[in-house]
Amino acid sequence: MFEIEIRTKKGFKNSHGEHVLSDISGIGIKGITEVEYFPLYVIDGGITSAEVGTIALELLSDKITETYICRYKEQSVGKSLKTESSAGIDVSETAACADSAILPHSAFFVIEVWYKKGVTDTVSESVIKAVKDLGIEKEIKVKTGHKYYLYGKVSQAVLNDIATKLLANTLVQEYVAQ
Amino acid sequence: MKCITDCKIIEILNLSDEQLIELSRKNVLSLSLEEMKTVQNYFKKLKRNPTDVEIETLAQTWSEHCKHKTLTGIIEYTEEKNSKKTRRIYNNLLKETIFKAAVELNKKWCLSVFKDNAGVIEFDSENGIAFKVETHNHPSALEPYGGSATGIGGVIRDILGVGLGAKPLANTDVFCFGDPDTEYSKVPEGMHHPKRIAKGVVSGVRDYGNRMGIPTVNGTVCFDDGYMANPLVYCGTMGIIPKDKIEKKVNSGDLILVVGGRAGRDGIHGATFSSVQLDQESDVSAVQIGNPIIEKKVLDTLIKARDLNLYRSVTDCGAGGLSSAVGELGKKTGAVVYLDRVPLKYDGLCPWEIWISEAQERMVFAVPPENKEKIVEIFERENVEAVFIGEFTADGKLTLIYEGDVVTNIDMEFLHNGVPKPTRPALCKIKEEKIQKPVEMSSSEISEALKASLSDLNVCSKEWIVRQYDHEVQGQTVIKPFQGNNVEVSGPGDAAIIFPYTVVRGTKKGIVLSNGINPQYGKINTYKMAASAIEEALRNAVAVGADIEKMSLLDNFCWGNPDEPEILGSLVRAANACYDMSKSFDVPFISGKDSLHNEYSIGGKKYSIPPALLISAMGVIENAANTFTMPLKNDGDKVFVLGTTRNELGGSVLAKIKNIKYGIVPDVHPQESKDIMKRIYRAASENLIEACHDCSEGGLVVAISEMAFAAGKGVKIDIDAVKTGKIKSQETELTAAEILFSESNGRFVVEVKPGNEARFGEILEDAVFAEIGCVNSDKGIVFESEKNKIKIQEAPEVLLNYWRSTINW
Repeated sequence: MFEIEIRTKKGFKNSHGEHVLSDISGIGIKGITEVEYFPLYVIDGGITSAEVGTIALELLSDKITETYICRYKEQSVGKSLKTESSAGIDVSETAACADSAILPHSAFFVIEVWYKKGVTDTVSESVIKAVKDLGIEKEIKVKTGHKYYLYGKVSQAVLNDIATKLLANTLVQEYVAQ
Repeated sequence: MKCITDCKIIEILNLSDEQLIELSRKNVLSLSLEEMKTVQNYFKKLKRNPTDVEIETLAQTWSEHCKHKTLTGIIEYTEEKNSKKTRRIYNNLLKETIFKAAVELNKKWCLSVFKDNAGVIEFDSENGIAFKVETHNHPSALEPYGGSATGIGGVIRDILGVGLGAKPLANTDVFCFGDPDTEYSKVPEGMHHPKRIAKGVVSGVRDYGNRMGIPTVNGTVCFDDGYMANPLVYCGTMGIIPKDKIEKKVNSGDLILVVGGRAGRDGIHGATFSSVQLDQESDVSAVQIGNPIIEKKVLDTLIKARDLNLYRSVTDCGAGGLSSAVGELGKKTGAVVYLDRVPLKYDGLCPWEIWISEAQERMVFAVPPENKEKIVEIFERENVEAVFIGEFTADGKLTLIYEGDVVTNIDMEFLHNGVPKPTRPALCKIKEEKIQKPVEMSSSEISEALKASLSDLNVCSKEWIVRQYDHEVQGQTVIKPFQGNNVEVSGPGDAAIIFPYTVVRGTKKGIVLSNGINPQYGKINTYKMAASAIEEALRNAVAVGADIEKMSLLDNFCWGNPDEPEILGSLVRAANACYDMSKSFDVPFISGKDSLHNEYSIGGKKYSIPPALLISAMGVIENAANTFTMPLKNDGDKVFVLGTTRNELGGSVLAKIKNIKYGIVPDVHPQESKDIMKRIYRAASENLIEACHDCSEGGLVVAISEMAFAAGKGVKIDIDAVKTGKIKSQETELTAAEILFSESNGRFVVEVKPGNEARFGEILEDAVFAEIGCVNSDKGIVFESEKNKIKIQEAPEVLLNYWRSTINW
């Protein structure tokens, strides 16, 4: 199973992150100084890391403004929410990173948001179709998620507040905040 | 009927009343005891217990959402006025008010009224135009993004499913939210903050509408604390349809084809859920997720198949899923459906879930057997899934088969006409409205109040929302939501005009879309709220050049719990206003929808929403070139006010800002205002009007300021020249503040070139009108009253800034 994180290259605005930052201060939470947002894709199936690279580069990212990080994970997509610590973005040996210069700076929190099992994920449906159109004729499963890096200092309770009040609708989504 | 693993037999024959209620509650059937007993009796006659599929099918078909039980049921209405009581029984409120007016007006150009998925009127000799507005309140409260996206997706399918399918040309959106500045601690447990709801709803509509390639051209946003736990999300779509494609029919032997998305567990119980009050534990599966890309492909292929005459009937899969769609098409014939042939998103769905799944983006067709291959080829060419799931029969029964077993076998007649008519009491206590104490304000107080009005949530610019929508796609929008000199300097347009030249080659005609809504008036008087909304919708259309004689209306009631007699009573009053206004303006209603039970309970306390009636208007304009916008055009031009200004501050913006007690809610004077509307149209066809703006929330002072700052121009207005009228004989004269801020209906502000002044005066003749000033950029925006020693002077860019800065999220 591969997890692909699409990152904004240095020098380009992370505009969704900026929106989230203004929303955070809008609900009266102080202590967060910067937010970066990156979409996540989990792809499972008999797929090679070379193919994942093609998918990330040709399909999921914008070559001019974005780059990607790709991690190999043992878990399968069936396990709906990752419980392991993925916050430590200490990119492991199995991870391939297109541009190491864009790794986030220190002192941050990570909130990941995923759809709950059974909720229709239309973006993943489109990805599955588009992967076939790329010429990769394999049966794959795809899950999409959102990853937010928050810089600053807040308590875990406040972090959970940010997650539930702004980033995840717990009716259809679940989240990990740490 | 034999019992199989995936389909349960529901024990109902021997249940007591309490057990029946419990069964209905436990399975989210939303059926009343009387309805459960009717079901029980039906199966007693059949001498067997029903299956879960049968029970669910009945619950869906009989839901408030699909059957409109309240508005078509029996209502015992009592009206109390000055301690005198009058009673009236309505056997079908809808048929006796709104629909009755349409029947009595009997317009030849109304091509399909209150019978299909949308109302259709004539556009030209070859084409009709269809319009429908739907609500998606409950889903949007729970999941704002998905709820509003599927709301717009659903109403687009209504247009695809009218007649044999219309091509969508434009969308409209109207929302009511709670105050976005509400403190977080005051938001009820389990609910989203109003700002989060607002942002989610806007992005849902934006993403779905924009991806479908349909422009979003008209709308309104109202804010009131009453909508905090229960927002209102109205979505509308207008489309064009050839006249020979408006009739649909189903023959026995026609095949049932389902096209588009796959069935999943999403949206199970959407129809019955919409009749349930929201509480903290609302059902997860009631949430629907939209996929505009599939719907866009369905749209394109459907129109292709329609033009090749490959099917006899089509309808959309909305609330109630296949159950409603197939049930509706097969009402008069009967149908047999093989549930195991329905394409699924994933395994593990029970037969009843397949049958009522509200998975989005699906349409159901009735296809003559000889076209079987041809039609599937059209869909497959564009990668749209199309699967035959059964056929229409001649036995008048609904038969469902799952893996060889019959899981449902009930009479269509019982399914569609068996629901018992409920009788509900309704009560309306009419209170007399009092005029407030005279509002005396100094020049500086008026200036402050003007700025506060412009930045009030219900008046201020909704640019942050509106500019997220594509209002230009298809390239036919000639009058857009914002008008003015450039992006930085603009004002609010009154209505949108679509010039459908790519669909109807060589046409000169335009289609006007507008709306009227004001929940503030409804808190005091729902009759006047409804009348005002109708007048406002028409006025908005006339303010861009529409012909009042070619207009039609849609009604959308969003009300609280109709089991409360006073809430139902206020609804009856509003429905009566619709009848009265439709008749006196000679403008028919062509379609409508209601959403009741907009109520939310928390901690034992019940919150009912302030009643809201959205009136949407659609009309045909003979020449799309003879239209105009609201910004002032040339220095030296004369400014006129048409219509009478009365002391009507009840429910007004000023009353809210200054906390004014009492006040009369604006009334409608149909003869006077219809006459003015006709004369404006006449002046428009002679090209005498440079700019025109309707006068509503905030009154004259707001309307005139908007016209000036949208152009970056100044204007000099003589307050004393405004024609006023009395409501009660003993009334004192209006103060300057009352003239400026009164929200009397039926008024327009019009700019005319000095050379055209005489001819304009001839056309208006004996109508109420007055020249009140001229466009003059020297000294900014000036309102002056010699009599009251009042002078207000503001720079246009200052007022523009007040208007623009409130919503900037």
